[in-house]
Amino acid sequence: MAARDDILIRVTDLKKHYNKGAIRALDGVTVDINRGDVIVVIGPSGSGKSTFLRSLNLMEEPTGGSIVFDGVDITKKKIPNQQGNLVKLDIDKHRRKMGMVFQHFNLFPHMTVLENMTLAPIQVRGIPAAEAEAKAMALLERVGLADRADAYPIQLSGGQKQRVAIVRALAMEPEVMLFDEPTSALDPEMVGEVLEVMKQLAHEGMTMVVVTHEMGFAREVGNRVLFMADGLLLEEGTPEEIFGSPRHPRLQDFLSKVL
Amino acid sequence: MGGLIQLSNFPKLIPYVEMFRNGLIITIMLSLCTVVLGAVLGVVLALMRLSDLRPFRALGLDKYGHLRGEGFLTALSKFNPLNFLATTYVEILRSTPVIVQIAVIYYGIFGIIELPTFSLFGITKFHRFFPGVVALGMNSAAYLCEIIRSGIQSIDGGQTEAARSLGLSQTQTMRFVVLPQAIRNILPAIANEFVVIIKESAVTYTIGVQDIMAIVQSVKGATYLIMEPLLVATAMYFCLCFPTSKIIAYFERRMSRGSKR
Repeated sequence: MAARDDILIRVTDLKKHYNKGAIRALDGVTVDINRGDVIVVIGPSGSGKSTFLRSLNLMEEPTGGSIVFDGVDITKKKIPNQQGNLVKLDIDKHRRKMGMVFQHFNLFPHMTVLENMTLAPIQVRGIPAAEAEAKAMALLERVGLADRADAYPIQLSGGQKQRVAIVRALAMEPEVMLFDEPTSALDPEMVGEVLEVMKQLAHEGMTMVVVTHEMGFAREVGNRVLFMADGLLLEEGTPEEIFGSPRHPRLQDFLSKVL
Repeated sequence: MGGLIQLSNFPKLIPYVEMFRNGLIITIMLSLCTVVLGAVLGVVLALMRLSDLRPFRALGLDKYGHLRGEGFLTALSKFNPLNFLATTYVEILRSTPVIVQIAVIYYGIFGIIELPTFSLFGITKFHRFFPGVVALGMNSAAYLCEIIRSGIQSIDGGQTEAARSLGLSQTQTMRFVVLPQAIRNILPAIANEFVVIIKESAVTYTIGVQDIMAIVQSVKGATYLIMEPLLVATAMYFCLCFPTSKIIAYFERRMSRGSKR
């Protein structure tokens, strides 16, 4: 277990309500994400697990609670600077430290694989083009796609697209990677190649939060599993605890359906 | 005179070839200036329509910070003045005839603002040409605004999410991710608008711009021929518009080749 001061993201009482609270996608989720954690979020559809993940980098704006990332509460519109004055929170500055991988890849179709990967490093981090390209090529090499650097996304298979999406996020050297059902839109024979890349990433010590229906991955790669239902975090534990001895009846019911 | 076209009448137009050439140049210059003005103004209007500026946003929340349901305050909190202005502009410009707009701008606005009266390209007067460009450009901007707005809105939200998740700002996302894709999608509609501008520029003869149509009027007065100069004008407009649409269609095919196989 990681030490206390290794908390990377501290989520407290996170809420996302719609229509005056008639719809509660998230209804008070509290969890600490430590550096090096591989957290797998499972739960039935509509449980709020995607909303939870998407709230972490404010793709969804929470209506209550706080997210402290690297010591900064990113749910606040204004934060104190070093002089103690309140300044506008620059969410882009924090987002670049959080990589995100989407269900539908969301590669930029008008750019080649290499351009997809170098856009943010060049424009956001100001890295020289040659350096960004060299780094992108090294990353592509790692996932076995170096020969597709000049291809356009439409020329890639689903599995290749998702691998590119993962290394595109990695090119920004994030501190945490968020995966939103990364294999749900893939043909079955391509799921393995994407999970393999994610597994490799986990073994290298990357902090990861993964929303997935791949129970095998949760069991094998995750070090903590969160079970969510109805916008609540109902049970949390190691894969052994969650899959071996589930306590909450909702979890037992869920596992009986998916396993 | 009369409606009958006689081949023998065409040689009578030969002395006026240079006038037709000048008219052609004016029509082309008018269209090009209009496109530039229309595009710039159209982009600004489209950005206004897509903006999320709501000065009374806070009124839509109750004291707990939750969104109110219905009511006057909720409606007020959704009020976006930029969007309102742009929408009003677009609806008015699209619901009135161009010929009226040109007259209003020439006699109304430029009746107050004095323009220098030098000669442009030696063939037309600036104080007539400029109001023509402004009027056509303002009209065209209304249509271009709607084309651009729908083009931008047609880009999948996942593209914006991916760009923002990489740390790109809203402006960078627009510039590098959304606009390049949107422009490719709306190119056919923009090409169509360009051709429409060339054709609509003909009504500027009503404020004395010496374009092709104005030359037809002059030649008519001098030779008492009507159909023959009109046929020449028809041929000239066709030779402008038809190749233009073909050329843009060619570029469209070339651009889409990049992303496809």
